[in-house]
Amino acid sequence: MSIYLPIAELSVNIFLLLSLGGVVGFLSGMFGLGGGFLMTPLLIFIGIPTNVAVATSANQIVASSISGTLGHWRQGLVDFKMGGVLLIGAFFGSILGVWIFSKLVAIGQIDTVISILYFALLTGIGLSMLIESSKVIRDRIRRKSVKRKIHYHNWAHRLPFKVRFYKSKLYISVIPPIIIGFVIGILSATMGIGGAFILIPAMIYFLGMPTSKVIGTSLFQIIFITALVTILHATTTFAVDAVLAFFLILSSVIGAQVGVLAANKLRGEEIRALLAIIVLGVATKIALDLLVEPNEIFNLSVIRLVF
Amino acid sequence: MIKQLIILFYFLTGVLTPSISIALVIGSDQEEIYIDANFSGEELLVFGAFYSDPSQSRDSKSDILIEVVGPPEDVALRKKDSYFGFWLNSKSVTFRDVPGFYYLSSTSKLTDEFLTNNQIGLLERKKSEMIDWSSLTTDWGSIIDEKEKEEFYYALIRTKQNDSLYKQVSDEIEIIDGNLFRSYIDIPNTVPVGEYSVNLHLIIDNEISQKYSYNFMVTRVGIEEAIYSFSKNYPFFYGLISLIIAIIIGWSGAEIFKRFRRI
Repeated sequence: MSIYLPIAELSVNIFLLLSLGGVVGFLSGMFGLGGGFLMTPLLIFIGIPTNVAVATSANQIVASSISGTLGHWRQGLVDFKMGGVLLIGAFFGSILGVWIFSKLVAIGQIDTVISILYFALLTGIGLSMLIESSKVIRDRIRRKSVKRKIHYHNWAHRLPFKVRFYKSKLYISVIPPIIIGFVIGILSATMGIGGAFILIPAMIYFLGMPTSKVIGTSLFQIIFITALVTILHATTTFAVDAVLAFFLILSSVIGAQVGVLAANKLRGEEIRALLAIIVLGVATKIALDLLVEPNEIFNLSVIRLVF
Repeated sequence: MIKQLIILFYFLTGVLTPSISIALVIGSDQEEIYIDANFSGEELLVFGAFYSDPSQSRDSKSDILIEVVGPPEDVALRKKDSYFGFWLNSKSVTFRDVPGFYYLSSTSKLTDEFLTNNQIGLLERKKSEMIDWSSLTTDWGSIIDEKEKEEFYYALIRTKQNDSLYKQVSDEIEIIDGNLFRSYIDIPNTVPVGEYSVNLHLIIDNEISQKYSYNFMVTRVGIEEAIYSFSKNYPFFYGLISLIIAIIIGWSGAEIFKRFRRI
């Protein structure tokens, strides 16, 4: 059974869309990811035009993030204050990101720049998370008792404008979270993602937030970033496909709930190791697309005339 | 999917040349292709008959040629080049007013010479020695080399063919009883909306004896049209409604699952 997508202007199998949304939703609930960095390439892979894939997955991330946030919120795992501070930076970052995006589109290099960005970020983050989490797992297997400090002091603690974040048991400057939010805002607008896969390690390693609070808090602020990105795409690129979004949202919300349940059954470092492997898998695919000579070295895009 | 046959009879006997008494009668099963929620491509049926005068010699060879041309569109064609081992987009060419869909079918394989002489065939015409770029408005950018232009031209056709939007065949027209013909033309689900023209040619001894053209429309209808035009006319509210739908489903999904967990 297939459905015609009015904005993408092609028809796709409904069950393919539902299973795609379900799998990405499951991962997003489990890891606290919006899932955009998986959703966007998978949509492109099934033949959805790149701009529609980017814009529509932003819309889908809004739904799965809300659904996921509620799950974490009920368990008291969302630091709203930290989320709010991150959003201040993210708001300005996404405005700059949209400007960068339009410049890259104008010179026809958006695909290349995004591929390289994705590759660099995913490889760096994936490797560092894999090394970190495997060390923790190895130490546990050797029954070493690992002393973990409740909080450790780094440069983030020496900056001014210190604020107490009770939920995260932190007393740090607001400058680092605003900067992190700003960077995520740029990446979200240019890459069409929520940015959780950068946000989560940044919150753990730069801000020293507890792993348990990180997922809920990042989901919370991703809701607002992707909402802004959705509106920006709807009004500038006209690429948000409501029908495509509907089916993806329906299945991803269910998948996300199952993912939240699954996350509770696993230890923090195991979740991170699994996430690291997925991140490296996506990075490898992007690298192959860049490095292996394509079968067709030409690619065609229709420049539609807007009447 | 073949819809109810709406037969259009066009007897063209009036325009016949007196020497060759052959008439072309054609029909089609639809004047409009509707893109609704269930649209997954369609088969367009084109059929007809050609009558020959029995007193004429039977030696003359006659062929039917069907051409379907979709609405024009502008396309950007980008070529990837290897830089330090990376395959990146480099040169770009913009072709203006190329057909969004092109189909050419004939009862026997037609020579390039014939197609060139009669200005038929987007695919074959360019194979002639003298490439006529003037028929295409093209923004070549930095490209000046003729060989490279040719490479881009073939790549345009090839990429369109890979998307099933361009096709040239010589075995899809069925001939029944010697003078009835029928052809099913695949309209893929990626076709652009707009006006299409169907051109039929009756070819006798490598000369076009008769031509007949008619148009049909590919249009969005129902919810597809409603969503599309709303997104174009009220983009802000379209984005807002998309968001509200996302929020409602996201929220209610979490609520429903909360109940589940309590049980």
